Amino acid sequence: MSPIGKDLPRNKDSGLRLLTVGLLYLSPMLIFMLVFTFYPMLKTLYYSFYTTNAHGIPVLFVGLDNYIQLFQSDSFLTSLRGTFLYVLYTVPLGVAIAFFLAIISSERLRGIQFFRVIFSSTIGVSVAAGSMIFLFLFHPSIGFLNHVLDWIGLAPIHWLTNPKWALISVAATSVWMGIGFNYIILLGGIQGIPEDMYESAKIDGAGYWVRLFRITLPMVSPTLFFVIIVTVIHSFQSFGQIDILTKGGPAESTNLIVYSIYQNAFIHYKFGIASAQAIILFLIVLIATIIQFKVGEKKVHYQ
Amino acid sequence: MKKIGLVLLLSAALVMTAVGCSNSSSSEARKSDDGRIKVTFWHAMSGASGELISKMADDYNKKQDKYEVDAIFQGSYEESLTKLKTVGGTAEAPTLMQVQEIGTKYMVNSGYVQPVQDFIDKDKFDLSQWEENILSYYQIDGKLYSFPFNTSNAILIYNKDKFKEAGLDPENPPNTFGEIRAAANKLTNDANNEKGFALLVYGWFIEQLIANQGADFVDNGNGRDGLATKSLLDSPESLGIFEWLNDMNKEGTLGNYGRKWDDIRAAFSAGKVAMYLDSTAGIAGVMKASPFEVGTGFLPTPDGKEPNGVIVGGASLWLMNSVAEEEKEGAWDFTKYVTEPAVQAEWAAGTGYFPITKAAHEEKLLRDKYAEAPPFLTTVKQLQLTKPGTATRGALISVFPETRNEVATSIEKLYQGDEPKKVVDELTAKVNKLIEEDNKINAPK
Repeated sequence: MSPIGKDLPRNKDSGLRLLTVGLLYLSPMLIFMLVFTFYPMLKTLYYSFYTTNAHGIPVLFVGLDNYIQLFQSDSFLTSLRGTFLYVLYTVPLGVAIAFFLAIISSERLRGIQFFRVIFSSTIGVSVAAGSMIFLFLFHPSIGFLNHVLDWIGLAPIHWLTNPKWALISVAATSVWMGIGFNYIILLGGIQGIPEDMYESAKIDGAGYWVRLFRITLPMVSPTLFFVIIVTVIHSFQSFGQIDILTKGGPAESTNLIVYSIYQNAFIHYKFGIASAQAIILFLIVLIATIIQFKVGEKKVHYQ
Repeated sequence: MKKIGLVLLLSAALVMTAVGCSNSSSSEARKSDDGRIKVTFWHAMSGASGELISKMADDYNKKQDKYEVDAIFQGSYEESLTKLKTVGGTAEAPTLMQVQEIGTKYMVNSGYVQPVQDFIDKDKFDLSQWEENILSYYQIDGKLYSFPFNTSNAILIYNKDKFKEAGLDPENPPNTFGEIRAAANKLTNDANNEKGFALLVYGWFIEQLIANQGADFVDNGNGRDGLATKSLLDSPESLGIFEWLNDMNKEGTLGNYGRKWDDIRAAFSAGKVAMYLDSTAGIAGVMKASPFEVGTGFLPTPDGKEPNGVIVGGASLWLMNSVAEEEKEGAWDFTKYVTEPAVQAEWAAGTGYFPITKAAHEEKLLRDKYAEAPPFLTTVKQLQLTKPGTATRGALISVFPETRNEVATSIEKLYQGDEPKKVVDELTAKVNKLIEEDNKINAPK
């Protein structure tokens, strides 16, 4: 027999062995994923085909009824529309502001550290604390923002009690809270660009704007891509600020999908409907992320 | 192999936790550090009322040495009920639990509770000194399921200084929808963004305003004669309330301060709104916070209609059936202590809640309070003038929390400019659906 023939069964054997050993190495993570991610996901899917009783126990198999009901309900459609609007309000603005701050503070100037700390400081503010700050700013009768409006002679705005303003107010709060995280990641990306690229560009006579659009932007694009994906997902899942600021009101204008899931599951104890909503949200986020990868990846410049 | 050891260890840890979970259903009474039987009492009172509850428990613990009451604040009524849902029926449940009035039907159906009637019968406890109006809310088929604890109703609160400025009689508050609308017109000052009247965006007030007209909230005798199957929110009585609010909203005399009690109270204390409806439980706090003289009036009715009275709001205390017998005995002993006239008087004087027993009114502490702060008396009079009937006994449905949420949403839609008729019809359809679905799943068969 040839040496190759002799080796084959041993190779197969070691492949199996490698797989077993590999699985063993992965097992701590796998077990945790199974218990805390995959099992709950399957359970959610299961619940979404049932109606639950007052104790939250599934008692009646209803097939796709929960899904059909959701898409026929005005409240859910309002909630979906609100969620998309909210993502639209928060993501572009949040990323743009953070990117702008990262650019201006990446210059080497005296005392720039101070500004970097300030710009990134919202990362240290919890959602609850941040929302409380804005709750006082937005207060309908004694809030700071309305005092300012009053002072410059404008009529007060019902920030959180007018359905036209509430979502914008909540979005503004989220943008403010998200800036710190986006800023730190983007600043890191910008500072990772090798200095010699700028030097050679300068020697070639490139001005500030050319350097910004031809070097900084392409070089930082993988970071930007990451930030956008994370912010979109995060935005779809916003909960704390809504719970504290508006509790989904007024007239359901801020009843975004995660808040609506919470209400159905943990206040109304309707796990069936809530699970169906969770599955729909999962699909939306999944599709949004796939689209971003398909579209975004082409524009991203990896070194 | 070390890794296999690790896996085994992990699996073992998992199994242990699983066993740990299932091993908790014993009926051993919980004990305090000094060996007394511990009565775990979950409540939903924050601020001044919460402090008074802690004091109540401390006083009780000092008074006797068999039981120790551990009063724990578990968040708002909604939050604490949600927490109960996760431990209800297990040994982890509290011994005693404060639940909002609209949770009554849910609690009865839940299977977590021991009706206090069992203890009343066993002890031959005398209920004759109790306010009938309060008892009748919590009695279902003649059986008292829970101990009424803190009761309140809805009243009109107004700013006497603003009344004087506007040329209205500060000692004679408006009593009808028309009078309130007219007064609100005079009290509104657009230059300063001051509104005449406001209603908290909260379903409870709509329930109270409907009951005050003698109308039911749901069918089948407000769900007391049989299982409720339909909401009566599209009744003329209910529609009239929405039309009244809509008129004032169109005239620009109605303020909207959202769904938070604190926000509407802050607006009132800051002079931004001259009249609003509040719970009697808020009087003490509002009087303290306002730098002007506060007046109180009865809940309004449509013009030409006699007030029928109010529904007892507030909360009651429930005994859980899954805890040890000794703990239940302790909880029963504590609730008896709580209803003593002196304790009731202190509680009522400190909060604005209504004393449950008639004898409490004779206590000096409470009489002094009423003499010093007459607004407190409005709540007493209003409850005592209430005509007993299905309307004022309040509706019994288990989907009440959801219903209140829908009512609040519909008020917001009205404020946004939707027509009252459309708002009321949509609301009724939604609530009917809630009731229908709930009956399908949860109704006792």
